[in-house]
Amino acid sequence: MKKTRAFKPSTLGKQILPYLLAVLAAFIAAGIFLWLMGFNVLQAYQTILFTSFKSRNGFIQTLLKFIPLVLTALAFTIPMKASKFNIGSEGQLIFGAIGATATGIMFADLPALALIPLILFVGMICGALWALIPAWLLYRFNVSEILSTVLMNFISFSVLDYIATEVWRDPLAGHPTTIPISESGRLPLLVSSPPLHSGLLIVILVAVLVYIYTDYTSAGYELVATGANPKAAKVFGINTKILFLLALVLGGSMAGLAGAIEVAGKHHRLIEGMQSNFMALGIIIGLLSKGNHGVVPFVAFFIAMLEVGANAMQRTMAIPIEMVFIVEALILIFTLLSDTRKK
Amino acid sequence: MAENYLLEMENIDKTFGTTKALDGVNLQIKRGEIHGLLGGNGAGKTTLMNVLYGLYKNDSGTIKINGEAVRILSPKNAIDHGIGMVHQQFLQVTNFTVAENIVIGTKPKSYPLMNLDEEIKTILALADRFGLPVTPTATISDLPLGVRQRVEIIKALYRGVKILVLDEPTTNLTPQEVDALFSSLRLMVNEGLSVIFITHKLREVLEVCDRISVLRHGKNVLTMDRADASEEAFVKAMVGEDLNVENSILYADQGLNEKLSNIGEEIVLEVKNLTVGMDEVPVVKDVSFSLRKGEILGVAGISGNGQLELLEAILGLRDIKEGTISLAGEEITNLETHKLLQRSISYVPEDRWQDGLLSLATVEQNLILGLHRQEPYSDGRLLKRSSITEKATALIDTFNIKTEGPHDTAGNLSGGNIQRLLLARSFSQAVDLILLHNPTRGLDIPSIESIYSLILERKDLGMATLLVSENLDELFLMSNHLIVFCNGEIMGRLKRSEFDKYSVGSMMSGIRQGEE
Repeated sequence: MKKTRAFKPSTLGKQILPYLLAVLAAFIAAGIFLWLMGFNVLQAYQTILFTSFKSRNGFIQTLLKFIPLVLTALAFTIPMKASKFNIGSEGQLIFGAIGATATGIMFADLPALALIPLILFVGMICGALWALIPAWLLYRFNVSEILSTVLMNFISFSVLDYIATEVWRDPLAGHPTTIPISESGRLPLLVSSPPLHSGLLIVILVAVLVYIYTDYTSAGYELVATGANPKAAKVFGINTKILFLLALVLGGSMAGLAGAIEVAGKHHRLIEGMQSNFMALGIIIGLLSKGNHGVVPFVAFFIAMLEVGANAMQRTMAIPIEMVFIVEALILIFTLLSDTRKK
Repeated sequence: MAENYLLEMENIDKTFGTTKALDGVNLQIKRGEIHGLLGGNGAGKTTLMNVLYGLYKNDSGTIKINGEAVRILSPKNAIDHGIGMVHQQFLQVTNFTVAENIVIGTKPKSYPLMNLDEEIKTILALADRFGLPVTPTATISDLPLGVRQRVEIIKALYRGVKILVLDEPTTNLTPQEVDALFSSLRLMVNEGLSVIFITHKLREVLEVCDRISVLRHGKNVLTMDRADASEEAFVKAMVGEDLNVENSILYADQGLNEKLSNIGEEIVLEVKNLTVGMDEVPVVKDVSFSLRKGEILGVAGISGNGQLELLEAILGLRDIKEGTISLAGEEITNLETHKLLQRSISYVPEDRWQDGLLSLATVEQNLILGLHRQEPYSDGRLLKRSSITEKATALIDTFNIKTEGPHDTAGNLSGGNIQRLLLARSFSQAVDLILLHNPTRGLDIPSIESIYSLILERKDLGMATLLVSENLDELFLMSNHLIVFCNGEIMGRLKRSEFDKYSVGSMMSGIRQGEE
């Protein structure tokens, strides 16, 4: 059957077409609102779509958004492969950031070669541990991970507040912020002005490793089988309960890494609110890519582009940034709609 | 018009997507007859009846009742026109009583109160009149399937239907219950009702029906009076040219005796005093049996009497309370499932959709489930993706699975193809023991035929098969020995020469061998 190969381009086209239509439909729908509100729709969309490519600064801003978004998307998609929903990447990111900051402050004397890997490692572990709590509750008591991961977020906000205002408070800052981490704990820059840190390379590497894990290994196959039908996977000898736990913990480590990279690469300290809206966007990216790890980075880049474009649109045209959330939500809704249409 | 039909369906078309499920089908039902609607899986029997019952809308064609064209848009519509249907899967509220389930959706006399005394009288009268004993105050969830089916029939009769449609009504019944059902149907038609009896089981149709229509690939093939018909004519009509009836396994009857006779000496599976508990109540009680090389051991019993638990215990999926299981002389009690699957057992579960299929995964991902850590699919760590696709393509071909290819989503496959997929998976490697649970349920005759020949092939290779089935015809045809389950216990053991429908039936309903 050599036919299957010849089929590929057309099936790929078939797979992408609904997305393109969904994006188009979302832009048209949102455009109607913008038009009713009296804005110049064309100009607004030009800003959204092309800011990332018009200037060096715009492109680097996009990449800086892209870095945490890929990781929070993976924090969602890895558990999703096993049919579990991690809505706690916010908290896991914060704990990764806390771990990274603590390491960067407490081991300030270590050389960069030791400190940077340590910071990233501790960040991953902290994110994983924060996910381990709901994962264990699921494993042991069958507590729904959807609820417990969300609730863990709220705890993390308070812990962050405590650390930024009590433990390592920066007295000069007007906002809950810690003192900076050691110079030797900061990620080297790829481009110095505007600064682009080397977290980008780490993220690309991690995304490739995750893709290999889920799509090219027997262990990853077990994750996929579990997600496709946990009961059948169990009947055919896969330890699904452990995999649920593992998937959530792995997801947590992705978010933890995102937090550590934000600290070591961008902020160099812990700041209240640094989790931004990365979790919501990560979930949108995960859902849009349907857990396909081959496309997660591309969808993440697209969403990062929209985000940067939206900021520019707000600055230059005074269109509320929420408009882009609406567009993103509409894309998601239209994509899901196109799925049900196919059935 | 010479004949005065109660119901006429004329030129009914129905298309799903690109599949033509019904293609100009005609059906005429007389007053006071049992009409058999016969056909293999996917022949369009159920689709046709769902059109009649208002669940599907036909694309074209007319339905006439007493010669008058009617439009049936919903089941309520259908019932108003005197058409009732008993589905394969009962639509019952399991924590309601029998009486509540029967009157549900109608207005009781005591409305707005729910005093059902009057209705219970009516129900008991109906039950008595048609030989369908039920206890109106019993809760549905406590009742066996045979009784729940009677409740469904009474529910239709209670609504005063003139035409009763039964979709595969004998699937979960013992032979005794089947006989009782048939005599009830006879009582109904004697009172002027008409019954449409959907089935793929030819022998039942010949036993009870007055007239028979055969569908194949969504088209009429023939309609005949029972009196004019021979079994072979119907087999030919059902399967068309797809099957060589003379060489068929399915219609071989005694011809298999010789084929089945060569059993090895070596014991493959030995189960000793096995007790499997769910909470406190054991679901398999003190079960012992053994299975030799090349032997096919049939396990009979009504669904839910411990058969599933027995299979899952062998596979290491259930906690074993007492007893031992050995495979080829080695004890495997409570060994991990993945080790058993890799070594020597393959399994085709009964509940294909729940227990067998990764519906969201691709066809090739399904084909490697349980085998995904071994050659030729993996070196233990990394998947060999091209070898997987290659092997999957070959299996799709060998097992005649209709799919767009190895990368198609498995959930898109039709029921018969899903079963072929699961069989392809478990027959794709050499094992010592094959566990099959209702392997041919819902399949068309050529598929059943090919599955039987696959089982016989494996038998000739010396593999042992544990065949759990609710279809007695299948068990009698394929097994060397038979054990009969009821309430998790073995009620009796029979050799092939002792197979008898009624004695197995009474064991299935809980009477121990030789106790009668």
